[in-house]
Amino acid sequence: MPLIEARGLTKKFRQAVKEPGLVGSLKHFVTREHKDKLAVDNIDFSVEAGESVAYLGPNGAGKSTTIKMLTGILVPTSGSLIVDGLVPHEKRPQNAKNIGVVFGQRTTLWWDIPVIESFHLARDMYEIPVERYKANLAEFTELLGLAEFMNTPAGKVSLGQRMRADLCMALLHDPKMVYLDEPTIGLDIAVKDSIRKFIRRLVDERGTTVILTTHDLGDIEDICKRIVIIDKGKIIHDGDLKALKDNYARERVIHFQLARPPESMDVICAGLPTCDVSRDGLRLSVRFNRFHHQAGEIAAAVMPHAEVMDFRIDEPEVEDLIRKVYLGQLSLASTPSEAPVGADA
Amino acid sequence: MGAFNKYLSFSKASLQIMLVYKSSLALNLVGTIFYVVAMFYLWQTIFLNQKGALPGDFTWQDMKAYILVSFLLNSVLTWYDEWVMGRDIREGLVAVDLTRPVDFQLKRLADALGPVPIELTSAVVVAIVVAAFFGGIALPPDAVHAGFFLVSAVLATITKFALIYCVSMLAFWTTGVTGISWARLAIQSIFSGALIPLVFFPGWLQTVAAVLPFQGLISTPALTYLGKLDVPTTVALIAIQAAWAIGLLMLGRLTWRRASKAVTINGG
Repeated sequence: MPLIEARGLTKKFRQAVKEPGLVGSLKHFVTREHKDKLAVDNIDFSVEAGESVAYLGPNGAGKSTTIKMLTGILVPTSGSLIVDGLVPHEKRPQNAKNIGVVFGQRTTLWWDIPVIESFHLARDMYEIPVERYKANLAEFTELLGLAEFMNTPAGKVSLGQRMRADLCMALLHDPKMVYLDEPTIGLDIAVKDSIRKFIRRLVDERGTTVILTTHDLGDIEDICKRIVIIDKGKIIHDGDLKALKDNYARERVIHFQLARPPESMDVICAGLPTCDVSRDGLRLSVRFNRFHHQAGEIAAAVMPHAEVMDFRIDEPEVEDLIRKVYLGQLSLASTPSEAPVGADA
Repeated sequence: MGAFNKYLSFSKASLQIMLVYKSSLALNLVGTIFYVVAMFYLWQTIFLNQKGALPGDFTWQDMKAYILVSFLLNSVLTWYDEWVMGRDIREGLVAVDLTRPVDFQLKRLADALGPVPIELTSAVVVAIVVAAFFGGIALPPDAVHAGFFLVSAVLATITKFALIYCVSMLAFWTTGVTGISWARLAIQSIFSGALIPLVFFPGWLQTVAAVLPFQGLISTPALTYLGKLDVPTTVALIAIQAAWAIGLLMLGRLTWRRASKAVTINGG
């Protein structure tokens, strides 16, 4: 049985309808008109124990709403949601013991008192056995480098330090699953990197189930095997990250550094009819579909007509892919049947 | 035991937080000293110019005790009020509390009670100094009344918390609770008997005060302290206090349940 199972999960918000200006405000004051907004629209998904899932979508797509329903903070409008055998909003305190939550935009630490005191509160709050608490605290302190600011109030540490402490706070009670809501937002590269390593270790060594929402695609490539994309409240993709890349990231670009301008661009273009050739000074770029061509073919077509000094290949980025999905330039509804050519795919 | 520990830890943390804001604490203390000294001079003037007995046979000696008891009761739960809870609700900090295995109301109670040791100690020190300055005050007439007073004082504190909790819940529907908090304080200072003992009110106003929960905050414990009432009346008043305390706690829970169902915490 899956650890998390959602069927037809829906959350509707009532939003105030206000016309602009003073008149509109007065009118609203009297009539209180509302309209429904579907934040999460009839979604189905299930997550097995030990999975690491990236939950993506543009701002306002319904990610946080889903996470809040999973934690039991929000009551679904309709549909069913079972997390580890419990309905989260009905058994909220019991569900809370099974989960760890990190909100990137909001700390769960006590603001005014030293970080270590918040950890002590976690110990009492979750009734963590003393030995377990000590072992976990020691391990996380080491892995996350918490020692240097353990006695500083959470309100006085840097964002990166706070985030690391928040992660520790969420994990001290050995939760079966962890919801991370934008855990690397606003962090520098070094901290992002250490946090990603830490989460990956959590998945690999402790078998913790991780659900991660983020706008930083570096997070998902490092941590997650599965990717779920939600847009306008509906799940538009749910599957393996590698398969997504293989299926949809089709474009590769090969850049040639030339010794001197080519004699004729037309000849080169004629040799590559299905590709997009462009030149900027001594740099010649060929954009090609890796389902149709191999890099070698392209090189072979260019070399006879230009003196190539160096070349470089840009691999398709997940980031570009997701951007296209968000912008509606790429539909994930139809599955391509072609396979990429070449062994590198 | 584990559950109790949990809430005790919240109280401790809340107390620690209060201690972080030392200057704010000191200013509060100075403010309360001014207040209680002013009350003393005001009532002293009234009593010195008074010919004949006051209603309820209040003597200057009684009044001194009444002012100080009222001062002590007023000094608890001043730190953790609607403003703090309202802010937490508005800023969505309650969302964090909701991801924890805790009872929301009990946690808030623990948070509110945390600072009480400090609030009470500083108030007692001020009260003793002021009492000494004004020639001492009467103690409860006997151990029975002292016992009743303690029970009544605890109930008063719980009632005060329950009121603050209920008012704070309004933050789910309105954006600011500061105004409502002030209104609560204004009504409370009149109908609790904090400014003027309820027996000095005209009859109809006494009737109004009797059906409101506020008398349980100051009037009931203070009168119990003075031993002005016979035992059956005292027991009846304490029973009313207890009923209000429980009723308001339940109302708070109910409101919370409704509010959390309607809650649409910011962000999608």
